[in-house]
Amino acid sequence: MIRLIEGARDARQAFAGRRRFMLGLLSTVGLALAERSIPTASAAGEPPLVMGIFPRRQATLTTELYAPLAAYLTRELGREVRIVTAKDFDAFWDGVEQRRFDIVHYNQFHYVRSADKYRVIAHNEEFGTGTVAGALYVRKDSGITGVPQLKGRKIVFGGGTDAMMSYILPSYLLLEAGLKPDDYETVFSKNPPNSLISLYHGQADASGAGDILIDLPVVREAMDTGTVTHLGMTERVLHLPWAVRKDMPQALATRIQALLTGLKAREDGRMILARAEMTGFGAARDADYDPHRRIIRKVMPSIDIPR
Amino acid sequence: MRLASKFILIVAGILSVTLALNAYFFLRGQNRILEQQLDERGRVLGHLIALISPEAILGLDFLTLNEYAREISRQHDVVYGVIVDTDDRPLTSYVNGDDPRVRAGLGVDGPAPTHLQPPRLQALIQQLAQLPDVIPAEFPIVHDGHELGRLRLGISREKLAIQAREQLVQQIGVYAAIILFLSAAIYLVFKYSVMHPVQRLIEVSRDLGRGEFTLVPVRSGDELGRLGETFNAMTREIQREQAKLHYQANYDSLTSQPNRMLAVERLQQEIRSAHRQQQRFALMFIDLDDFKIVNDTMGHAAGDRLLTHVSAHIRARLREEDTLARLGGDEFLVLLPRLAQANEARDVARRLLEAVSEPVTLDGREVVVHCSIGIALYPDDGETVEALMANADNAMYQAKKPGRPPICFFTAEMNAQVHERLRLEQDLNKVLARGELQLAFQPIFRAGDGTYVGAEVLLRWRHPERGFISPATFIPLAESTGQIVAIGEWVLREAGRQLRRWLDAGLAPGYLAVNLSRVQLREDLEQLIRSVLSDNALPPQALELEITENILLDDHQQINAVLGRLHGQGLRFSLDDFGTGYSSLSYLRRFSFDTLKIDRSFVAPLCEDAEAAALVRAIVAMAHSLALKVIAEGVETRAQLEFLQDLGCDYLQGYLLSHPLDAEHFTAFLTRIARESQPWGSVAVVAQ
Repeated sequence: MIRLIEGARDARQAFAGRRRFMLGLLSTVGLALAERSIPTASAAGEPPLVMGIFPRRQATLTTELYAPLAAYLTRELGREVRIVTAKDFDAFWDGVEQRRFDIVHYNQFHYVRSADKYRVIAHNEEFGTGTVAGALYVRKDSGITGVPQLKGRKIVFGGGTDAMMSYILPSYLLLEAGLKPDDYETVFSKNPPNSLISLYHGQADASGAGDILIDLPVVREAMDTGTVTHLGMTERVLHLPWAVRKDMPQALATRIQALLTGLKAREDGRMILARAEMTGFGAARDADYDPHRRIIRKVMPSIDIPR
Repeated sequence: MRLASKFILIVAGILSVTLALNAYFFLRGQNRILEQQLDERGRVLGHLIALISPEAILGLDFLTLNEYAREISRQHDVVYGVIVDTDDRPLTSYVNGDDPRVRAGLGVDGPAPTHLQPPRLQALIQQLAQLPDVIPAEFPIVHDGHELGRLRLGISREKLAIQAREQLVQQIGVYAAIILFLSAAIYLVFKYSVMHPVQRLIEVSRDLGRGEFTLVPVRSGDELGRLGETFNAMTREIQREQAKLHYQANYDSLTSQPNRMLAVERLQQEIRSAHRQQQRFALMFIDLDDFKIVNDTMGHAAGDRLLTHVSAHIRARLREEDTLARLGGDEFLVLLPRLAQANEARDVARRLLEAVSEPVTLDGREVVVHCSIGIALYPDDGETVEALMANADNAMYQAKKPGRPPICFFTAEMNAQVHERLRLEQDLNKVLARGELQLAFQPIFRAGDGTYVGAEVLLRWRHPERGFISPATFIPLAESTGQIVAIGEWVLREAGRQLRRWLDAGLAPGYLAVNLSRVQLREDLEQLIRSVLSDNALPPQALELEITENILLDDHQQINAVLGRLHGQGLRFSLDDFGTGYSSLSYLRRFSFDTLKIDRSFVAPLCEDAEAAALVRAIVAMAHSLALKVIAEGVETRAQLEFLQDLGCDYLQGYLLSHPLDAEHFTAFLTRIARESQPWGSVAVVAQ
């Protein structure tokens, strides 16, 4: 009987020891899992990052082109990145002014004017280059061979006066050639591609636009680009900027910059870039846009340019 | 083409034309509606684009304008949609390169560019607007009262055409089915209600053509039914007529007994039956003796009644299965089937002789006629219709001969005679061509002074194998075959020529007496005589025509007319062989004879037989009383000559005076009498 009681006690002791081991093991696994799940839980709890894209294209097309990039950033940042665009430039600029975007992609003029609110972290690379130049185009059969010949002629610019490549840079070129705005008739097309197409259709004598415009598929599809030619080009300046709010944590900004510039090194990244009709991102800093500031001041002397 | 096929073709044609017209107007209406719809659609599209375009035009938004152009051009039924400015310069560059008309307009086979330079686009849309299946339209784009440009739209009729084609095919399909159904239905109705009765009518007509009288079943009262009834009435009438014709063709109307045709048919049947059953039958030819006398003396009506009675008497003596037929005239045929022995035929023949001999009362006079019966037996005397009938006829011919029993069975000897006769007939056919006939001339002298007056022309046949053939043999044969006409003509013409030769030789041949056969007494005899006289420049008196009494038994009216006309022209006639025939004195009065020739059978016994002498004396007296001259034939003795002179006979002819002479000897005779002018005594000696 005693032997039986002792046996039962031994068994209970062995069972209790084994239970302690199991609880300890479970506690260790649980802590480890809990530790791994904490950053995700904390990122998921943050509000989405709003990525504003300027209405360079139609809103639907903009969304389609940048959706893969947004998904990539969401995945990599562990935080939702939401694409936002606007129906027009005024509405978009209002968003910039109100700092409604955490990440913003717009033109150089926009960045220069909003540099007090946003800081640039990257720039576009299109057709393998990260710089652009403003250009003046004429029809080959127009007989115009020099910029001064445009005096008194009708020049169509793309978009509006805040179009860096389609207005400010070509205007700068005209100024450099000695032609002030009053020396020629200024008309604006709906957007930069249309300025070149307007020239093609004979609606103006010259077109002011980016130098790469002639290579854009949308332009090549809409016109015979062989009928027009460059009349003159500005110096090359950095391409369209990507900026983040100035109050964004540096780590996040850096992380985003790294994610963007690292895209072209990845297989899936190149697909994302191709979808966005780009060839890559280049790292950028505010000083890279000083040439832009200089040109803008020349073309628009009255405009206030923050730092 | 069959009637049903024609009818169905006409119906199908009418239906096709009607439905085709219907389809044409229907499709035309449909097309108009569809075209209006298309036009309306283009108008809506144009107005819509014209409404939304000013914004893009004013904003120089060519991409948007191009999008509009793309959207329009990709619409169904739109060939091109181009926005142009007020100077008609294209503001869009898009064209639908997938459209075959655009590709054709650009002259490319493969994929066409979707954007064109303004001048090329301008030229293209002008070209496309000219296409027949493109409806060009223009819609102004106006903003604030100012025209900014125009939308030029080309709407395709292709879909319309396809739709029209599909509808046409559908309509044709439906109409073809309707035509097929209606045609089939009409055909069936036509077939059963028209063609079947017509077909039946055709079949019945064919039956009718074959002699089968079938009636058409009449089931309706319409035109076809009435046609059927009419046809049936016609069939019944034809049947009646045919029965009548059959009766007329096969039965003798006088005696109501089968005629020759039916007799031959029954004989043919009997031959087949007897051949199958190995039986014997007899064929009888019955000919009434001297029936012509009855006809001539009592008239044809009486003769017909006699034939009716005789026929009835014969029929009464025959069995039911025996056939009695009238072959023509007074000739009957009797067919006695299933004979055990030839004697049975003889018994029947005897009964028939008795039957025919039964007295018959005609016009109050009792007439008795007899008959001759020739019998041929099957198969002994022939196995064919022709053989049996010929042999029975031969047997009857034998029975007819004087001195023969009136019932005569055919024998092989008769057959030999028949063959002989046939051979003679065949030779007779060639006699003229071979020149085997010759004329002989027997002088005729005046009884008073023995002066030569003329000669009787006699015919001689010198057969190259059989020698001289008597006229008594071949003349009856020639008469029976009709060859006597040609022979008689030859005799007349040869006699005329001979007369002319003698006259030309300065001789005095007198007249020539030429015998005429009854067969020659036809209408053309006159013409022949005239021809002979004129050809040889002879006076009518140079010829004397001799005819026998039996000629006068024929149709005396016709003969009298012919003879009367010839006599009127100056020709003389003599009645030959007077006394051997019926010697009806009425003939002498009825016909215009000039001379009467006493037959040699009266002259021969003249000196020994007082009755003969009395008869000749009476003939001469009677002739003289009728102002007729008398010639005595067959004067062979001087006693006969003197006796005839004493009787006052006018002319003499006979061997005593001269035998018949051929032309050469007769020429010599004429020469001698012209030189010597001797009477007959010495002449006769010379002539012999």
